Amino acid sequence: MRRIAVYGKGGIGKSTTVGNVSAALALSGLRVMQIGCDPKADSTRAVAGRRIPTVLETMRDNPDPELEDIVFEGDGGVLCVECGGPRPGVGCAGRGIIAAFEQLEELDAVDVYRPDVILYDVLGDVVCGGFAMPIRNGYARDVFVVTSGEMMALYAASNIAGAVSDMRNDGYARLGGIIQNSRGVKDEDALVDRAAAEMGTTVVQRMPRDPAVQRCEERGTTVVSGEPDSAMAGCYRELAKRLFDASEDADGGMRLERFR
Amino acid sequence: MRSVIHPRPSPIVAAMYTLRDMDVDVIVVHGPSGCSFMASRPLENADVRVVTTSMRDNDLIFGASEPLINTLKQVEERFHPETVAVIGTCASMIIGEDMASSIRKAAIDANVFPVDVHACMGDNTRGAIKALEAGRDAGIIDAEECSRQISLMKAATRLEKDAGMASKDYIKPATSPTKLHVCRHIADVLSKGGRVAVVMDAKKELAYRFADMFEAVDRARKALGGETLFVANLDSTKGLPRIRGYCTDILGDLESKGVKIDAIVGGLDEYSVAGQGMRDAVDAFKPDLTIILGICHAYPGMSTDDILITDQPRQLANYLAAGCEWAVGEIASHSLVMGAHEIVPLETADTLRELL
Repeated sequence: MRRIAVYGKGGIGKSTTVGNVSAALALSGLRVMQIGCDPKADSTRAVAGRRIPTVLETMRDNPDPELEDIVFEGDGGVLCVECGGPRPGVGCAGRGIIAAFEQLEELDAVDVYRPDVILYDVLGDVVCGGFAMPIRNGYARDVFVVTSGEMMALYAASNIAGAVSDMRNDGYARLGGIIQNSRGVKDEDALVDRAAAEMGTTVVQRMPRDPAVQRCEERGTTVVSGEPDSAMAGCYRELAKRLFDASEDADGGMRLERFR
Repeated sequence: MRSVIHPRPSPIVAAMYTLRDMDVDVIVVHGPSGCSFMASRPLENADVRVVTTSMRDNDLIFGASEPLINTLKQVEERFHPETVAVIGTCASMIIGEDMASSIRKAAIDANVFPVDVHACMGDNTRGAIKALEAGRDAGIIDAEECSRQISLMKAATRLEKDAGMASKDYIKPATSPTKLHVCRHIADVLSKGGRVAVVMDAKKELAYRFADMFEAVDRARKALGGETLFVANLDSTKGLPRIRGYCTDILGDLESKGVKIDAIVGGLDEYSVAGQGMRDAVDAFKPDLTIILGICHAYPGMSTDDILITDQPRQLANYLAAGCEWAVGEIASHSLVMGAHEIVPLETADTLRELL
């Protein structure tokens, strides 16, 4: 089982990327589970084709939910989960991530569905312990960071790389590389390459800007399903393959075997 | 830096006791139901209603405004209080609960005010200071009394760090020796016509128990001879009305038993600063034996020849370790004095009376 977490600055295109990667992997015949870790709960919107109920809201209204209440099949059979969280300005979204993971483990979600790949789509920067949860305690094994050549996106990427590196001695996740979402910044490739080198990693793939992304988003679908013959769909399929190949196939359930 | 690793009182609990001192009717603990449970029970005995918002994991995640509003409405319905303090806990403060906003939304018919405390503030007295400032802002105490109380809190914190239970990184609590050797010593000095000074420097309500020693020593003097000097921080013109009331209760009780305090030095909230004045009174008396009750180490020049009576097992350990062989502990005192209105028997005093 591969356990991949995708981090990156808010608005950089993580969810679009993760949704397309999930769909591409699923359409290639793999069983994929995508877990959105953002209180906005819109990670799986394109791949599920709708907004799905979140784990935390379900738990709040029903202390004994079933798996069917929180796991929903989307594009190509992708298993979609949204952790959810509080509305902005109240409560603790970080604690929410921890509680949602606990709920998924309590219901043996991963052991029941046995996905080949779990993809975590995690909000922005590593803002507190809760949002670092996917890269701790053996949940994700490989972390990829989405960034453009814009300074703030690179800054966030560097923070995330730092957090992963701080936890490396605990045997948790490792940094798998950078996914470049190009924004047309001057000398963007060189900027991203240099930042990646400073983080001690490399660029896995550069994704071009393509109007197909916006078109499919408006239709509420992924590019790999909505415009499968487009160049952009090809890019996503290639990215999916590279992420799959670059990540470790390790034993265990929702957590790596040695952390269970 | 080495930090103190034995359990220390929490700023949340210090805030609760301070709210009690300010005669707040109801304390709402905004946090999990177990938070400060052990401290809440004795406060209930002292006629303060303590309730909890019983925060759960869902409230941590989604915010706990609703349980707080509901709790305040229940409090209004059940207790019809005049004053209500809502105090923070680690759980509610970490998630940034806006207690003032929930208080406004609940709009109950009482003076309700928030106290922003949690247990990670360091010294427990910081919680007391937060409560005092909140009480001042809510118009429960005046600004002058508030600053007086705050400076006393700071003095108490320094005393604890210099010579008290925060003076070492770990203190194992001691169990008290029996009180017989101490009482025989007192009886012996009096029988030989000796001079015995009894000094009580008590922290607030604990005076209800320590003051019993005056009656026992007075009785021993009448039976055995000798001379006595009684010194106590029972100034009923100092501090908050509730604390002044303790002085009036205790002095009235002693008077009814024919016991007179010779020198009143400081109020019951001045235990950390009253020591020198007490020392001056005792020095003028030139005693053969001095008995110190309460916060003994606040008495300057406390010696290994003195009889020391404390309610704190770790403080007792400090005294015994310093070679004070006449130190004894009245360990469960605090729970016995909560809600008291007259003197509560002290084991050492009972033992002395039994010897006569």
